[in-house]
Amino acid sequence: MSFDYLWEGFSVALSAQNLLIGLIGCFLGTMIGALPAIGPINGIALLLPIAYTMGLPPESTMILLAAIYCGAEYGGRISSILLNVPGDAGAVMTALDGYPMARQGRAGEALMLSGLASFTGGMIGATGLALFAPVLAGLATGFGPAEYFVLMVFAFATLGSMMGARPVKTLIGCVLGLMLATVGLDATSGAYRFTFGEPELGDGIEFVVLVIGLFSISEALILLEKQAAGTEIIRGLGRMTARLSDIRRSIGTALRSSGIGFVVGVLPGTGASVSSAIAYMTEKRISDREGSFGKGDPRGLVAPEAANNATSCGAFVPMLTLGVPGSGTTAVMLGALMLYNIQPGPTLMTDRPEIVGGLIASLFIGNILLLALNLPLVRIFARVLTVPNWVLVPGILVLSIVGVYSTHASAFSVLLMLGIGMAGWLLRKTGFDMAPIILGFVLGRVMEVNLRNALAISGGDIGILFDSTISIVLWIAAALVAVLPLILGRRLKRATAPDTAAPDATVTRAADGRVA
Amino acid sequence: MSGSAGHGRGHLPTGRVAAACLFLFAIAYGLIGARIDYAFASDPLGPRVFPVALAIALAVFALLFARRPEGAEDLPRGALLGRTLAIPALAVSAVLLMEPLGFPIAIFVLTTGVARVFGAGWPRAVLGGALHAALWWSVFVAALEVYLPTGTVFG
Repeated sequence: MSFDYLWEGFSVALSAQNLLIGLIGCFLGTMIGALPAIGPINGIALLLPIAYTMGLPPESTMILLAAIYCGAEYGGRISSILLNVPGDAGAVMTALDGYPMARQGRAGEALMLSGLASFTGGMIGATGLALFAPVLAGLATGFGPAEYFVLMVFAFATLGSMMGARPVKTLIGCVLGLMLATVGLDATSGAYRFTFGEPELGDGIEFVVLVIGLFSISEALILLEKQAAGTEIIRGLGRMTARLSDIRRSIGTALRSSGIGFVVGVLPGTGASVSSAIAYMTEKRISDREGSFGKGDPRGLVAPEAANNATSCGAFVPMLTLGVPGSGTTAVMLGALMLYNIQPGPTLMTDRPEIVGGLIASLFIGNILLLALNLPLVRIFARVLTVPNWVLVPGILVLSIVGVYSTHASAFSVLLMLGIGMAGWLLRKTGFDMAPIILGFVLGRVMEVNLRNALAISGGDIGILFDSTISIVLWIAAALVAVLPLILGRRLKRATAPDTAAPDATVTRAADGRVA
Repeated sequence: MSGSAGHGRGHLPTGRVAAACLFLFAIAYGLIGARIDYAFASDPLGPRVFPVALAIALAVFALLFARRPEGAEDLPRGALLGRTLAIPALAVSAVLLMEPLGFPIAIFVLTTGVARVFGAGWPRAVLGGALHAALWWSVFVAALEVYLPTGTVFG
């Protein structure tokens, strides 16, 4: 196995410009993650068009976005621990033991310990990515159009079965994303589809327009409704060092949970929310002999934090090697690569080693930067929680509008983004998740093109979709993951029901914007 | 999240309404998709089949969703609905004002209005709006050299 791409990546990531970009990304990401409800996906959605407009090369853009992603995974724990309000879905489980620790006057310890757990998860995840990405890319070179189509079916099946308790809604989200991807000129036949005579839709719905509308605009509307209720913010952080005894007790937890997080991250369509829940429940089963989980046990804090950071690295494996995102956030990053006309897939590692290697190297460097930033600056990051909504939300809206306007210089695109944002808000109110829509959108064209190419090769014989060993294995895997919830659902419910109910992931600020 | 389907007394059953909307959307999308006009396709499938298949899939999933529409929240009503709708209205106004009046004024209107919607008093909202306009103009135009309109009226 050759790691030449990784050495090239380190030379890219260690250039002065990219180091600075990585540092800025880590800092911004942690702040974004610390803000309740503004998770990595929202942060990346907001900053992507600005990075693109600034004319950064693709490898620098990916380094920036990866740093924001990892930073937000670090930062997500801050509001979970201090507010009992997770920064994003991946930090929900962190609140279960983090907030009780904070209430016991051990907020500083919890922040330090979770920072170390995040570092462990991130480094193990990045190592896994460096080791397994070339292997998977090697296997994927045997993929033809039929195998790619089945792979995408597998990705949707995984997403439908793993994301939350409502797989039908997840699948509806995927189909809506696929539908949005059909808008515009069909490259194969030259037909315009769903453009309604509007020339600006000829090239389809721009990725930036969709992602900012769905995540930023809908978030602003949701924040308005959520600011009425009250939550107690923990202001005294206590001692800012982790106890050696806690670190010693948590080493096994961190290693196990990082492994779980990485493996879950590699599965297309799953994300940090799934991995942190699985890691927490696994650890509870293995270690919780005293029944202390949920009452401020450091291991209950370490498990989800290590897992969600390892997941963010694992999610890059299918994205970089197969062109199938491992999570909602990597779906946005896949879209970012497409903005540069780069199609991720098995040849990306050999064609553009500076992008793949640079991104992986930046994960190693980013984790070290994040640990160095988070240990001394955690008090400053915690201050982010006091930014009032009347300052925060106008800023989000300005960034959204500028992000879209600067990419297209077109009022139509901004209005379309606002319309999509309203639709996204309605869907969120109805309990839909936005990530499957993005996943459907980024995979839509590739899925259709591969299906049509496969059938063109076979002269219309659908049997080509079941013709190779890879396809058959993928169909079986898709069928297995589709029925997995039926087998595991009851067991998982039993394990989580009484004492691991996720805290209400709501942002609760007083009308004047203070976190009350 | 209420966790309900939103069918308390006097409330619309939000989940079922959403399922019905999705079903109607699937039909409309499928009908338009089936009528896609093309002169030539180099593949057996053509540009119609995939959209029609998606429409069928969405219709089926919408029906399944209608059977168990959990997880939907009630939509805001009264003053909260007004405030919620004010945000996109302000954003649309800002977009429409941007080319005639320029980015700083459009952003001032947007940020001042949104700050009011989020509960800031007039002095704070106006000051915040002015600071937002100045800050974002300096960041994007002066520092990052992003093209943003200066406005036909003043520019």
